[in-house]
Amino acid sequence: MNYRIKHRITRRQSLKLIGATLAAVTLPTASLLADKGEMRQKAFAGTDKKLPVIGMGTWRTFNVGNDPQLLDARTEVVKAFFDHGGGLIDSSPMYGSAPDVMGYALQQLGTPESLFAAEKVWSPAGGSTREQVAELKERWKVEHFDLVQVHNLADWREHLAALQEMKAEGNIRHVGITTSHGRRHSEIEQIMTSEDIDFVQLTYNITHREAENRLLPLAEERGIGVIANRPYDGGSLIKNLKRRDAPLPEWANEECGCTTWADFLLKFIVSHPAITCAIPATTQVEHMRENMRAGHSPMPSPDARQRMTDYIGSL
Amino acid sequence: MNEWTSYQLQDFIPFTAEVYFRLLERMGETFWPLHLLTLALGAATLALALKHRTRLACLLPAPLWAFVAVAFFIQRYAALNWAGGYAGDTFIAQAVLLVVIALTGWGMDKTPSRTSPPVVMGIAIALFGLILMPLMAPLSGGSWYQTEVFGIHADPTAVTTLGLALIMLRGFALWIAAIIPALWLVVSGLTLQALDSTGSVVLFAVLAITLVGLVWKSIKPKR
Repeated sequence: MNYRIKHRITRRQSLKLIGATLAAVTLPTASLLADKGEMRQKAFAGTDKKLPVIGMGTWRTFNVGNDPQLLDARTEVVKAFFDHGGGLIDSSPMYGSAPDVMGYALQQLGTPESLFAAEKVWSPAGGSTREQVAELKERWKVEHFDLVQVHNLADWREHLAALQEMKAEGNIRHVGITTSHGRRHSEIEQIMTSEDIDFVQLTYNITHREAENRLLPLAEERGIGVIANRPYDGGSLIKNLKRRDAPLPEWANEECGCTTWADFLLKFIVSHPAITCAIPATTQVEHMRENMRAGHSPMPSPDARQRMTDYIGSL
Repeated sequence: MNEWTSYQLQDFIPFTAEVYFRLLERMGETFWPLHLLTLALGAATLALALKHRTRLACLLPAPLWAFVAVAFFIQRYAALNWAGGYAGDTFIAQAVLLVVIALTGWGMDKTPSRTSPPVVMGIAIALFGLILMPLMAPLSGGSWYQTEVFGIHADPTAVTTLGLALIMLRGFALWIAAIIPALWLVVSGLTLQALDSTGSVVLFAVLAITLVGLVWKSIKPKR
């Protein structure tokens, strides 16, 4: 009994012990999160699967041919993408050598579990839907694609029917359609209503918000994931803001942690409830890091989003 | 939204300026010192054209057009742009056309006056393509490997050929021989413009002078 009394720990000691235990349990996790970032993720296509809200596009930026110097430079960009919690990478047979460059990068880096490989079929590339997908798998050096989309609706009926068959066979995981620059929205709406698709890819950014009217509400209603392309409007948004020497408003930092224009423009996009992810493209590791930081909390509230559009409109 | 008005020039250029200029540089790295031979062939062609040895002058650039078609367009540029293979085919067609003109003597201006304005324009354009275009990259701070050279790169090959055509050919043959080089300069000029390169201005200026020369030579009765 005395022994027990002698070794009874005090309240202060127990609090310290609990504190130390909590620290021991949580510190490694905290440091891991600090390394990898706390990228927001969103469920998609009516499933419980989640995707990081910042993905990566490859139009123009990853079309480097077989130049060894540029192949290595783009591999570093892909490495930074995955180091910061990236998932979806989008390419197309229209993007020249971009699928081959992805294959080179994945061969150098290994294929991370977080990779969500998104490709497209594009009629002018030639060959049937199945032939195109098979060739693209070889170029990416992947076992399967997580998503294959019909590029710019070209021959969409034939391609989509074939992609649905491939999905049913388990050759690809999801199917989708794409457009850009606000083109053919009424046809996109019709397909979203009548066809069983998992994703739609369209242009949505702070100056091109046509999709808010019908397509984004429809995507929410139908449980269709939305990939936002041209988040910087092909680079012109950032270029114009820098040319005007426009100041990043202080309230944007206070309300949603925006410290760069990349934060401001990307957080606006991915905070829309219907948007699954945005796919900025870059050739620079530093720009990739900036893009990825935009996927971290906090995100703008609906009021803050309105303030953001008003601010950009006032410039 | 009107679909066509939504397109910009940049939407048709699937690579960045960095990649395009590295491609030109890699051509230089890979084929040096072939540049010396192609430049010598270019200079010899100009000399032959001015000495009225027009058949041989037409024949000499033909293999260089075929070389640019294969080495530049089909083997390299096509990896960046799906249309590159078609551009290669048109360059081969130009090579064949030059051979046909050389063999048949079709449309040859056998006694061009060195003082006639279209011929002076042709000489100036050919010298620009042979001498000044290779110097533009080093003079603007680039490396020697970035120099674009007649017979290795597409732009100086097209420019020099336009100048030679103005000297050597006349009538319908002159226009036919100018179509492919001129079309390439339009494509290349628009590409450089989309890549924010001032080189586009140079190519459009050459095109404008060529057009003046073509019209002048077509409407001015031969002596």
